[in-house]
Amino acid sequence: MIVPSPDQLVEDNVSVLARFGYQPFGGVDEDWSAMWMLLKGDFTTVEMPEVADFDALTLSQQEAAKIYMRRRLIADRFFEECRKGQAELYQGIDTELVERYTLARDAYEDSVNHFGEAREKLAEVLRGVYW
Amino acid sequence: MKTYDKGDKLPEHYKECLINLMTFQADSEYAGAQRVAENHRFAPRPEEAYRLSKKVMEEMGHGYYIWNLLRDLDVDVDSRLHHLASNSENPDPKIVNVINGFRKENWSAFFECWEDVALFSTVVTPAAVAFLGQYRECSYLPWARVNVRIHKEEHGHLAFGVWASKRCIEFGGEETREFMQARIAKFMQMGLGFYGRPSKGKGASEMFDIYHEYGLKVKTPEELQAEYLELLEDRLTDIGFEVPKGVEADYDMRIGYGVE
Repeated sequence: MIVPSPDQLVEDNVSVLARFGYQPFGGVDEDWSAMWMLLKGDFTTVEMPEVADFDALTLSQQEAAKIYMRRRLIADRFFEECRKGQAELYQGIDTELVERYTLARDAYEDSVNHFGEAREKLAEVLRGVYW
Repeated sequence: MKTYDKGDKLPEHYKECLINLMTFQADSEYAGAQRVAENHRFAPRPEEAYRLSKKVMEEMGHGYYIWNLLRDLDVDVDSRLHHLASNSENPDPKIVNVINGFRKENWSAFFECWEDVALFSTVVTPAAVAFLGQYRECSYLPWARVNVRIHKEEHGHLAFGVWASKRCIEFGGEETREFMQARIAKFMQMGLGFYGRPSKGKGASEMFDIYHEYGLKVKTPEELQAEYLELLEDRLTDIGFEVPKGVEADYDMRIGYGVE
């Protein structure tokens, strides 16, 4: 669900962005609580063996957790591009397909690295360290 | 050193040796990726799973790079890919040329837990970095250029090993550090044997002198061992491990790849 800004200047930006293809998100929001249950094991170190459920996190911790989870969703899409690239190479290896696959896996690598950076940031926020 | 570029007429025996080394690298890169994919089941946490998945994609990409070059040398590379993809557990040595350590029956014996996965990239990968790094300066220039790309990425895999090992300790504490320290030697045996038997003396590789003369292998096993040990000590120290003493090389985990 889109929650508009009370500032009209910000809302006017929507129409500008729309000229370049922006579309308001019309789908159902992710089930962040359920996804968090699958991912919070990334944070249960010796120093912090217990990590709260999503609903028990503070607002800023929830925001950092959503960023981390969104990074993972982006990585999933690039992972699928890599699999597609491999399927095409299976039909016959050539330079164009190898370079295309290389670009796809570079993007996947970047997205996984971004996921890792978001995990590091969230780990700090969970400890109350913001900058 | 005489060099050759794409399209140059290659001396017959040089071409035979070159194809042997290139197919060995390509087939082993891909088979190694398949082994890494099998290790995915050990991933204990989300980021570990994603980072290992990324490594699979990269290693397969290295195989594609080299296979693509081999097409210029009239090698049927598609059949090699098809064979490995369909026979990952027991590829036929008459069809593909895979390093012994990356054959499933040998590889599986080394891995019992995620800590082993982290240690493999920390302890064995430096050997791959040193070994494959020499091909950046080899006499067949297309292969040299593509190995510049590969070498850069292998360094990334080394960083993965250090990261994964530190994470194991972060989650498991001192008990895990001690557990891992005791497991370093088995991987170091593989790392020490990665670049082959010494260039001189009893048990020396029969093929090394030929590859060296052709400029296909530009460093001696002794030079590569020194490079490996320097990298290894640096990484192990960074994590908080010690380099085990008195570890002997296991040469059986690689393959004899002399030209018949």
